[in-house]
Amino acid sequence: MNILIPHTWLKDHLETDADPKSLQTNVSLCGPSIERIYDTAGDNVYDIEVTTNRVDSMSVRGIAREAAVILEQFNVKASLKPLTLLSDTATQGTELPLPKITNDPALSKRLTCVVLSGVKRNSTPKWMADRLLQTEQNVHDAVIDITNYITHDLGHPCHAFDYDKLMNTGGEIIVTEAKKGETFTTLDGNTFETVGGEVVFKNGEGKIIDLPSIKGTANTSIDDSTQNVLLLLESIMAKKVRFASMTHAIRTTAAQLMEKNVDPELAGDVLLRGIELYQQLCDAKIASPIFDEFPGKTTPTAVQMPLSRITDYLGLTIKTDRVLSILKTLGCDVAVEGETLKVTPPTFRPDITIAADVIEEIARIYGYHNLPSTLMDTPIPTNKPADVDFVLENKIKHFLATLGWQEIYSYSMVSKEIAQQSGQSIDGHLALQNPLTDDRVYLRRSLVPSLEEIIEQNKQVDHLSVFEIANVYHPLARQLPSQELMLSMVSTQSFRDTKGALEQLLRQFYIDTSEVKPQTKQNYCNAHQCGEVWVGDRVLGHIMVLKSGHTAIELQVAHLMSVAKAHPTYQSIPKTAEVKEDITLTLPEKTLVGPVIETLLASHELITAVELKDVYNQNYSFAITYWHPENTLSTLEVEPARRALVEAAVAAHAANLVGEI
Amino acid sequence: MTTAEYSHALHTLVEDLTTALKTATSLEKLETLRTEYLGKKGSFTQLGKQIKDIAGSDKKEAGQILNKAKQQIEDLLAAAQETIATKQAWIDLTIPGKKPEVGHMHPVSQAMEEITHIFEQIGFTRVRYPEVDWDWYVFEALNMPKSHPARDEWETFFVDAPTDDQKGKMVLTTHTSNGQVREMERLHSKPPIRMINIARCYRRQQDATHTQMFHQFEGLVVDKGITIQHLKGTLDYFAEQFYGPGTKSRIRPFHFQFTEPSFEVDFSCHICHGTGYLDDKEEQKCRFCKSGWHEVGGAGMVHPNVLKAGGIDPDEYTGFAFGWGVERTYTLKEGLNLDDIRLLYSGDLRFLHQF
Repeated sequence: MNILIPHTWLKDHLETDADPKSLQTNVSLCGPSIERIYDTAGDNVYDIEVTTNRVDSMSVRGIAREAAVILEQFNVKASLKPLTLLSDTATQGTELPLPKITNDPALSKRLTCVVLSGVKRNSTPKWMADRLLQTEQNVHDAVIDITNYITHDLGHPCHAFDYDKLMNTGGEIIVTEAKKGETFTTLDGNTFETVGGEVVFKNGEGKIIDLPSIKGTANTSIDDSTQNVLLLLESIMAKKVRFASMTHAIRTTAAQLMEKNVDPELAGDVLLRGIELYQQLCDAKIASPIFDEFPGKTTPTAVQMPLSRITDYLGLTIKTDRVLSILKTLGCDVAVEGETLKVTPPTFRPDITIAADVIEEIARIYGYHNLPSTLMDTPIPTNKPADVDFVLENKIKHFLATLGWQEIYSYSMVSKEIAQQSGQSIDGHLALQNPLTDDRVYLRRSLVPSLEEIIEQNKQVDHLSVFEIANVYHPLARQLPSQELMLSMVSTQSFRDTKGALEQLLRQFYIDTSEVKPQTKQNYCNAHQCGEVWVGDRVLGHIMVLKSGHTAIELQVAHLMSVAKAHPTYQSIPKTAEVKEDITLTLPEKTLVGPVIETLLASHELITAVELKDVYNQNYSFAITYWHPENTLSTLEVEPARRALVEAAVAAHAANLVGEI
Repeated sequence: MTTAEYSHALHTLVEDLTTALKTATSLEKLETLRTEYLGKKGSFTQLGKQIKDIAGSDKKEAGQILNKAKQQIEDLLAAAQETIATKQAWIDLTIPGKKPEVGHMHPVSQAMEEITHIFEQIGFTRVRYPEVDWDWYVFEALNMPKSHPARDEWETFFVDAPTDDQKGKMVLTTHTSNGQVREMERLHSKPPIRMINIARCYRRQQDATHTQMFHQFEGLVVDKGITIQHLKGTLDYFAEQFYGPGTKSRIRPFHFQFTEPSFEVDFSCHICHGTGYLDDKEEQKCRFCKSGWHEVGGAGMVHPNVLKAGGIDPDEYTGFAFGWGVERTYTLKEGLNLDDIRLLYSGDLRFLHQF
């Protein structure tokens, strides 16, 4: 939550000579963050971020209180001015009766109000209008603006009812919970239907006449004919305010304050300040006694803690006197008994409930900037998670990038269309309940369609090879989805080039042999052709030719991890030379060349390597390596092996040798 | 063989080489000649072996002749090489190089690698936890009961899946803090903990500085005697390593449900060195930062309730945690000038090729 506070308004409550710049610097270091200073209508206006636990600072006076304490720490003279309010005797009227009020202490901690009569519809005076505009609030006329002004000034929302309209509905206020299906119309004319459980004001007939702590309803709000006002403050339970405000999306300033536990003690001051302003600006008269029911009055609970706990957090010892003075300036009652510190926070600080809260107060006012900075001297943990290998992941990324592949980060949530391209039905996907955009609804089960989309979007690039390492999400009954880290690669290069990149990638992990087993059921990513990538007895994933003609690979990183090695097994360097030659075979159409290579390799013991070099129509050229561990082979010695190779190819694959042996 | 015959044979060999070198105009030919003479089966090598046939008394003299011949041959070859080199085609040394095509690691990967490295050097262990997780780990165990106003700050995506009786709704992780209690569980509630968790996160918002998906890194340190000073030390260390020497960190009061005290973390601006001005007279405002400092994210001392949720006794142990956006932290790097983080996830090669 941010609040805007003009410097001159702040000085209504704060006695100081601090200039805006130093005030900003110092207060931000130890308290609420003054993010910016605007020059608005000739004044410095602070834009201050107040954290949700510190609703006591959501007012001019609240900030003044913080600033007074903090500036003193920086040796800047500052003090909080006392609040001067009307006295009790000045606030007793008898002219008009109060409505009949029935509070429910379980719903509202306090309810206080007063009737003001003869309210003139004067325009808002310039000084007030200026301040409202500087704090980005609308200016209406004084009767309405006073309520917004005192809320901003002191921090407790209040509401001005049209007294006569209220009396005409029966003159009764009953604090109660709405049932399901009741309707109310807010003062800006929007009608809502209750879901049940909203705290409302009802009249004797059960009609809703206000949505307290959130927004007034049209049937009791001020309008052009208003002459008498009922100024009322209530303190509805914070959770209830939040429930109704969130349910109906009525996020008024009042609701945003009241849902964060505004101190009900403040209500009395705000009522008195309101009366004073109505008298001054609208010539109003106090027409009733002040009604005040405060069943929720509480005394804050003391926090007891060992003094040594402060040192545990700060790493140094602050003298007890200093600790006590800091807490006292913040409004706490403090006592030390032996080694125990007892802190009773003021009513406006319900956020202080445990030792850590007290330590925070001491530490921030002492100044975080005054604490030394040092690295841990505690033991370094050695228990590492077994199921992740970030080094391997980075090695993949570096290697593929060096090889010419571009790494992509694409969204985990995809559109219906992209989700279905995984080959899984749409029902087989987890969906978001509240997606922000239509293209980010389903949790993807493959990265391939996302990468295809990216290739599509980058048509201007001639050849494109992209990869991504990210999770896919497979739904499981009554459990979190199985979240599997995948490596996906999609390329416009030829199948052989892409597969070659995979083979070289596997080589980086000292995996020399892998095998692709073509699948007959090609449901993976609706590919045109698809095969499983095997290493040993493990399937790493799939390699496929997509309908676009692009080649895609999708591997499970965990499976790759399980077969990856950190080093090779050294083979002694051969003492004899290899003999290499090329042999070209004509193979029948749709012959799988993988098994052919297997056949060639197995055809003779002297053949130690067979590598496919070129393919032209059905002619396949292989580089054959012959080797004997003890003798360097002569042409004559190679001949039987060559013959065996050709015979095996002819027999097993109906191959024809191009040329002659 | 006599010494004279041996000397003559060697002389002839040198003469032959001199002749042959006259026609050797390429380095390749030169290498062939080198092998023919000095190789294992080369003529000089063969002749060298014949020294064993010379009578014992003459062997010493023959050896000297042999060495001299070898020196001559080597000199001849070297001279020829020099000649060839000077005769090679002229090359324009200023001609632009032909670059092999390379790809690029994504900037987010680059940033994560750097961050990981920095924290590993001071004993942090990188971990990974679910990106789709239960409300319990994302909120409830972090001292954020259901319908708490603090939850408003996290624009949460909910997964359309049944609610778990104990762990609540299934959500996309809005921050990496779900790793806090999960890490305590992994270590069976036994500190020391020094975790760095870097992961994808998701929030229901989108503009120039927010994407529905982003990345955070989360640090968590729990042990006996961990203080705010250690958090400051860790932040300062990171700032200097990541942004360069002289970068400072500072912490200011803030509020998070899962830390107490809580801090906002700022790093000093490397352009204006934390002053907010580009000149000593404080006339030129630094346009890169907000008054000298960059807000990077949150931190704090682990809330006792979070330690309890992870089975750790808050009276015995203390700890600190921090969690920031990878993108935000990265885009503050000097001279990067990246002001729209949506580009990171656009898959636009014109952008990605620059990294």
